[in-house]
Amino acid sequence: MSIDEPSLARLMAAAQRGDRAAYRALLTDCQRWLSRYFARRIAPHQIDDLVQETLVSMHRKLATWDSSRAFLPWLAAIARYRWIDALRRRRDAAELHDDDAFVDAEDEAVHARLSLDRMLMHLPSGQAQAITLVKIEGASIAEAAQICGQSESLVKVNIHRGLKKLALLIESE
Amino acid sequence: MTDASIDELIEGLTGDLQPLKPRRIARGSLWVAAGWLAGAAALLWVAGMRHDLAAGIMMPPLPMLAFWTIVALGVAAAWSALRMGLPGVGRDYSGWYWAGLAALALPLTALVIGFGDHRAAMEAARPENGLRCMIEGAMSGLGVGLALFAWLKRAAPTSPARAGWAIGIAAGAAGATIIALHCASNDMMHIALWHGLAVALSGIAGRVLLAPLLRW
Repeated sequence: MSIDEPSLARLMAAAQRGDRAAYRALLTDCQRWLSRYFARRIAPHQIDDLVQETLVSMHRKLATWDSSRAFLPWLAAIARYRWIDALRRRRDAAELHDDDAFVDAEDEAVHARLSLDRMLMHLPSGQAQAITLVKIEGASIAEAAQICGQSESLVKVNIHRGLKKLALLIESE
Repeated sequence: MTDASIDELIEGLTGDLQPLKPRRIARGSLWVAAGWLAGAAALLWVAGMRHDLAAGIMMPPLPMLAFWTIVALGVAAAWSALRMGLPGVGRDYSGWYWAGLAALALPLTALVIGFGDHRAAMEAARPENGLRCMIEGAMSGLGVGLALFAWLKRAAPTSPARAGWAIGIAAGAAGATIIALHCASNDMMHIALWHGLAVALSGIAGRVLLAPLLRW
């Protein structure tokens, strides 16, 4: 079953009225959408936890969806908030993978806003390079220092400052 | 985490569902307006209205311009804070930035006036000539601050730091407009410094004190 905006919005409106069958269908669709959404942003072993956290947050904040607005941007905002929260909690181990997960063209508009590459372009080159090497490509601090021509301490500082700035950039999107 | 546990979670959340009333910005706006009016009523009841207004005489043009500029800042910040409660990727919450930039005309005007009259500027900056205005202004905005905080606490602000700023600025601006109805000074340096400080300090307080409480 495809996950399309009008169907999700209808299910959500029914869920707000207390329709449990609609809500179950909505949560199942959201789980699939969120799995793809996070697949591009975190390490595979963290996806399920983050999906569950997001579903619980969504459940707690159901009343904040305005039926006159689209559903997916609302879900994406909650997912992004949980993602940033996870980034902060696991800053040292933040793994921002950009897997080749399949994404519907329909979802692409929402996903594109949060493209990691686009975000990295806003960082100073030293910070972007340090994050790319260590957090995305999996290089050690020592290897990254050698490649960048920076001291190990500077690589660590660049990663710390870059992730902090990245979180702020994502929030401001 | 397994598929089975996600299914269990979905079943649990489904079983927990109750009909609910979607949050409406119009309702939040009413609470903010009530907080603004309550703050004004409380200050005017305790301290009274400035005598020219009480006698039905208009404020002079510059203080009136400052008053409406601060009202615009308060409304823009409150509106932004209310909208921050209903999240959505791609939504623009920046209205209060522009109102804030426009309000910078007040301290700039005061600065220019101050350069021309150092003695008056020094006099206006003395705490005994304005500290009370600042404190009463900040206190008068608490109603708006509380209304916005209560709204956002139950909503879903996705940037608590920005939401904290918006609440603080809105509350401070509301308080500054309320104190303008009591404070008899028409001196732009006094208005920009002491009434402006009420806005700035409330903003900082919102960012520092409220932002951590808005995380969810």
